[in-house]
Amino acid sequence: MLNALSPTSVVASRAFFPPLLAAGFLLLLVVLASLLYGAGPVSARDAMAALMANGTEEAWFVVTELRLPRTIIALVTGLALGLAGALLQSMTRNPLAEPGLLGVSAGSGFAVALAILLGATTATLTTLVAQLGALAGCALVIAATRVQGLGNDPVRLVLAGATLTGLLLALTSMLMLMDQRAADEIRFWITGSVAGKPLSILWATLPSITLALVLIAIAARPLAAMALGEKAAVGLGHHPGRIRFLITFTVALLVGSATALAGPLIFVGLVVPFIARAFSGPDIRKTLWLCVPVGPAVVLGADVVSRLIAAPAEMPLGVITALIGAPVLLAIVRAGRMPSL
Amino acid sequence: MPDKRNALVNTTLLGLLILATIISLATGTVQVSLLDTLRALAGNADPMTDFVINELRLSRVIAGLLSGAALAMAGCLMQTLARNRLATPGIIGIDNAATAFAVASVVGVGLSLAPSAMALAGAAAATAIAFGLAGANGTRGYRFIVAGIGIGAIAGAVTQVMLSRVAIDAANAAYPWTVGSLNARSGQSVLVLGMGLTAGYLVLMSLSRALNTLQFTDAVAIALGTRLKATRIIGLGLAVMLTGLAVSVCGPVGLIALLAPELARALYRPGKVPLTAAALTGASFMLIADLLGRTLFAPLEIPVGIITAIVGSPYLLWILLKPSPRSLT
Repeated sequence: MLNALSPTSVVASRAFFPPLLAAGFLLLLVVLASLLYGAGPVSARDAMAALMANGTEEAWFVVTELRLPRTIIALVTGLALGLAGALLQSMTRNPLAEPGLLGVSAGSGFAVALAILLGATTATLTTLVAQLGALAGCALVIAATRVQGLGNDPVRLVLAGATLTGLLLALTSMLMLMDQRAADEIRFWITGSVAGKPLSILWATLPSITLALVLIAIAARPLAAMALGEKAAVGLGHHPGRIRFLITFTVALLVGSATALAGPLIFVGLVVPFIARAFSGPDIRKTLWLCVPVGPAVVLGADVVSRLIAAPAEMPLGVITALIGAPVLLAIVRAGRMPSL
Repeated sequence: MPDKRNALVNTTLLGLLILATIISLATGTVQVSLLDTLRALAGNADPMTDFVINELRLSRVIAGLLSGAALAMAGCLMQTLARNRLATPGIIGIDNAATAFAVASVVGVGLSLAPSAMALAGAAAATAIAFGLAGANGTRGYRFIVAGIGIGAIAGAVTQVMLSRVAIDAANAAYPWTVGSLNARSGQSVLVLGMGLTAGYLVLMSLSRALNTLQFTDAVAIALGTRLKATRIIGLGLAVMLTGLAVSVCGPVGLIALLAPELARALYRPGKVPLTAAALTGASFMLIADLLGRTLFAPLEIPVGIITAIVGSPYLLWILLKPSPRSLT
């Protein structure tokens, strides 16, 4: 896809690869940190020795059985949320359109809670339900942007999303009050955390994430054309209606998978594209490429912090992402001019 | 006879509030007839009824009354000062910050001040940040509100951080605050709220003319003889105080501060700031929401914050999705 960048962007691409490489390098560092540091008693030195294949059995167990799955799940979650945020923002032309803020994640979480209360047990089923919930949330958001005035008022859309999120959270808490046994399981799914999640959830989400990546590869070029305006996109031979449908579906797949993996993580979809856009400029294809290393790095980095900040206890990952993300939201809102997409 | 309509509105609302109070007192696990409830309040009922009404339920109902009235008044005041219908303490994150500080005092992080004092400090900090960050567009429009969502998110996260750092008992003790419930109240906080509410109400009544002029532009308000800066500072200070004290009793039951003034404004004669009506409506809303939470799924109790969120959020969404909202931006 990089080769497909049009010749006119060659000059700009000179400034594009260093950030991509830097982000990739940063991601490697974060992965290493994630394997080495944890809340438990296994020290970084022991973990390093275990990685070099001459450590204690305990260290080996902790690193491969506990930290490695967690790291992989955080990476996939970050990838999914970062890409979903970038896509949704580009399509709605709204730098604040974040799946978490707009209620898509909360919709997904509420659907999961409802399914568990009704007796859903397997990871595959729960993942599917999470994706359906996300799809419903996405459809609502897209419908809301079509409401007169709301589509071109980015901030008002976010406010509506925050209200929807509040409503869904309240309904979810009510479901949890209804059934104590289900509440524990629901809490496992809807707390923003990647700790202790079995890899079976990852296998259940992998097909949809792969499908989403394929769809992104198909839709990236038309989406970039749509940034020029719908008429220009039609002139270039694209079908805005179809693209919008495709992107909505993709975002739902990504957010649903991420929610199944790590619960509703708010603000990740805001922060990651925000960082990526700072280096890539307005071209959505470059932004998407940059999101690939940045998203996992942000989520995994936040997870490492969440392990260390309250050691020996742990803190929900969602708390850390909120602490990182809310100031970014303030910065975007406070700027006199919205960054245009 | 300028205020005939408003007086009528206030009287009606007061009547409804008294009705809501009596029903709240009468309803519960032990059902007491309305007549017996009145008798118990007057002090001549059988000991059992007397105990249920005066010992068990009265303190909760009083806490609900006071906190609902305080939240609604703070909301009404804040809307007027920011000239923004959505700028209520709950929406711009002040409730959450007050909660974070109150939780801090309960779980013993930092200074061990009383929850009331800490909630006040939190409310003041969040208000200062919200108004300080108001930015290019000032407090009108949606940006001010969304910045408040950011502040609320940070405060919510800080609450979580504190809850996850302390022993499970302390965390459980603080939990009701984080969703909004009348279960967590302490007698002392209610007392402080009562005094604060009375004092605040008296000051606001003396300021009511100045507040009414704030609905016009600054220039008009000054021409009408209003001391803008002083009014704003006092008004904002009172809004902070009322919010902080109410949150120290009931937690972040934010949407009451939006809903009650909305209803009061719709009933009132245009041009007046409906402080009294908002307070009466807010108190009724709080009691009714708490009553619903107690009875809907009894013996299960739904925290009042969840009830107000479920009832209030659709209304807020409706305001936001309507093509042309009035009195905004």
